[in-house]
Amino acid sequence: MSTSLWSLRAGDRGRITGFDDALAETYRIRLMELGFHPGETVACLQAPAFGAPKVFRVSNTVFSLDNEVATHINVETDAA
Amino acid sequence: MSKVILIGSPNSGKSLLFNRLTGLSQKVANFPGITVDVATGKLTGAPELSLMDFPGTYSLQPISGEERVATEYFTRALDDPEVSQVLCLVDITRLEKSLYFTLQVVRECARHGKRVLVVANMMDVLKRHDMSVDLQGLAADIGAPILPISARTGEGLETVVAELRNSSAEVRNNPALVETPDALLRGNAHQLAHKYGPRGDLLVKTQARLDAFFLHSALGGFAFFGIMFLLFQSIFTWAAPAMDAVEAGLGALADWLVPMIGPQLAKDFTSDAIFSGIGAFLVFVPQIFVLTFVIGLLEDSGYMARAALICHKPLRLFGLTGKSFIPMLSGVACAIPGIYAARSVDSPKKRLLTYMAIPLMPCSARLPVYTLLIAAFIPNTTALGGLVGLQGLAMFCTYFFGMFTGLIVTGLVSRTREDHYTDLPFVLEMPPYRLPALPPLLRNCWNRCRHFITKAGAIIFTVTVVVWFLGYFPNYGADLGESWLGQIGRVVEPLFDPLGLDWRYGVAIMTSFLAREVFVGTLGTMFGIEGADENMVPLVDQIQASGLPLASGVALLFFFAIALMCVSTLAILARESGSYRLAVKLFLAYGAMAYLGAIGVFQLVSLFSG
Repeated sequence: MSTSLWSLRAGDRGRITGFDDALAETYRIRLMELGFHPGETVACLQAPAFGAPKVFRVSNTVFSLDNEVATHINVETDAA
Repeated sequence: MSKVILIGSPNSGKSLLFNRLTGLSQKVANFPGITVDVATGKLTGAPELSLMDFPGTYSLQPISGEERVATEYFTRALDDPEVSQVLCLVDITRLEKSLYFTLQVVRECARHGKRVLVVANMMDVLKRHDMSVDLQGLAADIGAPILPISARTGEGLETVVAELRNSSAEVRNNPALVETPDALLRGNAHQLAHKYGPRGDLLVKTQARLDAFFLHSALGGFAFFGIMFLLFQSIFTWAAPAMDAVEAGLGALADWLVPMIGPQLAKDFTSDAIFSGIGAFLVFVPQIFVLTFVIGLLEDSGYMARAALICHKPLRLFGLTGKSFIPMLSGVACAIPGIYAARSVDSPKKRLLTYMAIPLMPCSARLPVYTLLIAAFIPNTTALGGLVGLQGLAMFCTYFFGMFTGLIVTGLVSRTREDHYTDLPFVLEMPPYRLPALPPLLRNCWNRCRHFITKAGAIIFTVTVVVWFLGYFPNYGADLGESWLGQIGRVVEPLFDPLGLDWRYGVAIMTSFLAREVFVGTLGTMFGIEGADENMVPLVDQIQASGLPLASGVALLFFFAIALMCVSTLAILARESGSYRLAVKLFLAYGAMAYLGAIGVFQLVSLFSG
């Protein structure tokens, strides 16, 4: 199922398929520099309440992203 | 002396390596972007080499003003003929986030003909997990030698120093790399990270468990409030005995020294100008030390990044970031350590907004002023069947009024700025939890205190001496009311007239520029009461007996809640922000807001209180 990284819940995993056009080129590049490359598997480790930034793991690094960024990262999940 | 640049991405252990290699004081922080200044130190065992610790960035392609400064500084340094080598640090456990940056550094060194040594840190973590990386293969592919080290255990550092000292080593740069564009480097880095990166799970399970607790919707909130309570206590309560000791020590020294001085003028100058001037800034040192220590513990342990995450959403509404919370909370005790703490806000715009909010936090120096005015104007009665004391309620409201105003100001300013929508997105690395190393932490506390004493001390001391001079002459301290300060008070009396205040309050407000709490002592002197700062009751009685209207009391409360009149805060704000203009602008803006607002409050309360 194609969705955004922000919609993952704690424990969910997804494979990055790309970024949507609303995300500025410079931020796309920075995310790729950090390891958020298309094709990489991302796991959502924590999804704190009240819309706080979520915690994602890519390879062996953990990052916290807020919805302004994570909604623009497209992922493919196994869920039907 | 030959210079060596140390560079690496955030959280790669760069500051710890710098400490290890130089034995010098440099902050070891477990929080992205903490290395703001470039620290320099002689290499231990190779004093002919000087090591420069450059700010950590994720890429040489900057996306913020701060990163642009760092990358431009790096490329400029490569043009320096004294810079002979570059030490590029890689976190070998997380190659995917540091390899692109490494390739960029290797390319820049090739372009400038500088020798580059790549050091692979965290080898101890790899060993612990029974994993290995083909460093020789990786070195061949990136075109630079790689040395395995552990900055934490010190393993491999001798080899690094020996390599750096090896002046006969030729510069062997990969010429093919010179013309490689960033996009291609990025692809290469991604492929190399996959080819050589350690296979398997390197995330310590305890990190996941601790995060599950600290970021839990309910438990994490409790933990956050508990930790913030301790932080607040540390600056408010734990630093107090040391602050008292500084005051008592200076007092004892003055008592011993002053009687030995001959003429009365020299005696008064020594005791009231010199010792008060030194005391005016030395008294803050314990607070700065304690706060730097506690914040250092939070940063080095990895909790600070979690705290920033928890606070981010509510503070974003007001144009701030989660990282602004600790500086603002520190500002509730004292603006000065708060302004220092704002160094951890890496977005320049948000750091500016944090600087704007801090002086409006209800600092501890405002407390005696609030206590005096509330005791004088708010009746000591209770409401709601004895549950709520009116004076306590007034104190609560005054405290929150300052915080609320701070947030409103930053919210409005952030929305009126043109760059409102072009700020850095919130992408924050969550570093692994680690036990903080105590010696570098203590060294950093000492450095911070030394910075405060040398940079802000002179300004605070000078202003104290000038105010003493104006209050002492021409009648040699016999009567403050007849001094030049008193005369100035009478000249500016029309300014305070719209607040229903006479010249005595004007003089007290002017002296409170030294520190807000001086208002109480000066007002006591003006009313002929000795030691009003120790026991306020006689002064409260005098103010009530003088028939000062309630509206003036509330207007004064408003004025003190907003005005940025603390010279120490202004001095350190100018130093830390690097802009005297910002300090002057904030002083004038908050001064005008406080004064005009107080007139409005006076009129409003007069209307209702008849």
